[in-house]
Amino acid sequence: MLTTPLPGADARARQRASRERWVGLAMVAPALAVAGVVVVGGIGMSVVQSVGLLPLVGEARFTLDAYVANGDELLTGLALSLGIATASTLLSSVIGLAAAVIITQGRITGRLVAGLSAVTIPVPHLVGAAAVGLLVADSGLLPRWFGVEPGAWPDLVGGPWWVAVVLEYTWKESAFIALVVAGVLATRVARYDETAALLGASRARRLRHIVIPLATPAVIVSAIIVFVYTFGSYEVAWLLGRPYPEPLPVLAFRLFNSITLTSRPEAAAVAVITTVVSLLAVAVGMALLRRTPLWR
Amino acid sequence: MHSTAPRRGAVAAALALGLVAPLAACSAEPASSADAQQYASWEEVLEAADGQTVKLWMYGGDEQGNAYVNDVLVPAAAELGVTLEQVPIADTPDALNRILSEVQAGETDGEVDLVWVNGNNFGTGKEAGAWECGWTDLLPNMALTDPDDPLLLNDFGTPVDGCEAPWHKAQFTFVYNSDTVTDVPTTLDELLEWAKANPGRFTYPAPPDFTGSVFVREVLYSVHGGPDGVPLAYSEEDFAELTPALFETLQELEPYLWREGTTYPQNSNELNELYANGEVDFTMTYGPATLTALVEDGTYPAGTKVLTLEEGTVGNASFLGLASTSGSKAGAMVVANLALSVEQQVAKAQPDVWGQFTVLDLDQLSDEQRAQFEALPESPVVPSYDVLSENANPELASAWVTPIDEEWRRLVLTQ
Repeated sequence: MLTTPLPGADARARQRASRERWVGLAMVAPALAVAGVVVVGGIGMSVVQSVGLLPLVGEARFTLDAYVANGDELLTGLALSLGIATASTLLSSVIGLAAAVIITQGRITGRLVAGLSAVTIPVPHLVGAAAVGLLVADSGLLPRWFGVEPGAWPDLVGGPWWVAVVLEYTWKESAFIALVVAGVLATRVARYDETAALLGASRARRLRHIVIPLATPAVIVSAIIVFVYTFGSYEVAWLLGRPYPEPLPVLAFRLFNSITLTSRPEAAAVAVITTVVSLLAVAVGMALLRRTPLWR
Repeated sequence: MHSTAPRRGAVAAALALGLVAPLAACSAEPASSADAQQYASWEEVLEAADGQTVKLWMYGGDEQGNAYVNDVLVPAAAELGVTLEQVPIADTPDALNRILSEVQAGETDGEVDLVWVNGNNFGTGKEAGAWECGWTDLLPNMALTDPDDPLLLNDFGTPVDGCEAPWHKAQFTFVYNSDTVTDVPTTLDELLEWAKANPGRFTYPAPPDFTGSVFVREVLYSVHGGPDGVPLAYSEEDFAELTPALFETLQELEPYLWREGTTYPQNSNELNELYANGEVDFTMTYGPATLTALVEDGTYPAGTKVLTLEEGTVGNASFLGLASTSGSKAGAMVVANLALSVEQQVAKAQPDVWGQFTVLDLDQLSDEQRAQFEALPESPVVPSYDVLSENANPELASAWVTPIDEEWRRLVLTQ
């Protein structure tokens, strides 16, 4: 009658663990299915089109022609998109972090900045772009206020440096970063900050040794989102940009809408490249995040 | 438990394949037109159209056009039992792309019924099976047009073949500010000389913008001594022989343009804004009829005038195309026929409504109907269609358009 419970218990435990895993999988299945259809379906469709398997006219056959057809424009577009996204992300991060610090100080200015950020978030980018255009274009409100002749006003809209585009992104995205980072700081920073203050740390030292290290993970995460968004966004760059060179999304959309039936695969190829670069940017950002000491 | 990892991988792979494989399988096949929507007589069309909803996709950047459709055409269609809805779009290829996607997906009750279309959008769509064809003979009001009118038989060199019903005629027109332009050019060549003599005061929209594209083709005519110098049908040999002189001329012109030609307005609206703001002295348009209102409300300078060139400018007709993927074809035919009626064509020609030139042949009309057209008011800014269309040049075949636009991008814009 000596029982040896261990092997049976072990098997049961394993069974239970396996069952739990399946239950877990079943519970996330609906979410996975939706994400799967969108991500695999959308990207899969683009990949299939880009390699010539879904032509509008003619026979389907595998080819990489679409990836080389616009070689030069693709490279300049990639450089331009990276430039716009990097500039917008850096500026938004710096301004957003500063705004977050002001917000967590909690005085009247803090509440003012928090209010301004909260109002900025729901403005659609398209409306933001139109507003920036009306403000800083040659024929815009600012040159009229200052009485500057259209010819003497710098080419902010449609100019060689894409100033208006970066300006619009920075305005909208710094508000986003400010609110995300302020949320993180509000829950974590107060106690450490007060302790350090009691121990006699100056404002500058507290900022350097407590606030910024605590905020860094949140800044990195929101910066990844901002980078990927600005890299893949179409309407702002189109509205405030110039016909050449084109950022990748504008190039993709022009090719997609082009009257030539063969240019659809080329548009899909540009979209695939944009997606790959975005994924790389996320990977780099996550690697950076893992190296921050506070990452849990 | 280490065996679950590969199994999970296999599940993911199967899922991915399952999603992608059907996508790959459904490569484009022309949608077979639904037989239920073939009609033998106009009575059958009227009967089938009752209660249908027709979506008219058209360029939405022209407020007068939007107002005409919504305030005049929509109520008239409602009287015939057809609910007409305007879908304003930024550019006609948006509509064509929608139809092509629906053709690709085998849709038979698509989002697009009618499209205001002409030129290469029509030609490319016809090639890809985007249009329903051979239906305009059914329309009673087609009898009011001239059956031999070349503008209505060929659309930029593509035979119309009953794939679209005529809607209006247009004349490409240069516009200038007579307060600032004192030495008025009389030919396109002189206009380009004027631009060089007045740096920064002239530019044109970047093709493939419709207006910018036709400007480039006008210059092509000009450098070869007029339309006779360029064969209307496209061939690669002619393209190689004739276009170098065109792009040389435009490259020479570039440094004298607005912003030294480092960039161009992206579309005709941007050029119009520059003109309205006094940054350039010329603009250009396919719809000169809108000028009267723009001068009256002060958008354009009071000195705005139409520039008529000795060698004439390009004229064309635009049409209502019926999407092959439409599920309301009868309703769409009723709207197309209504749009061709004398009442609608007269209303549309009123300068304060839309001011679009009629496609009807005045000789086919009764005296009473003709009198309605003759009673249209004259504009202080825009001369009549007869004057504008004097020496009208034919449009090049649409096969010319895309190669020229792309070559312009390569040789002029990106240099």
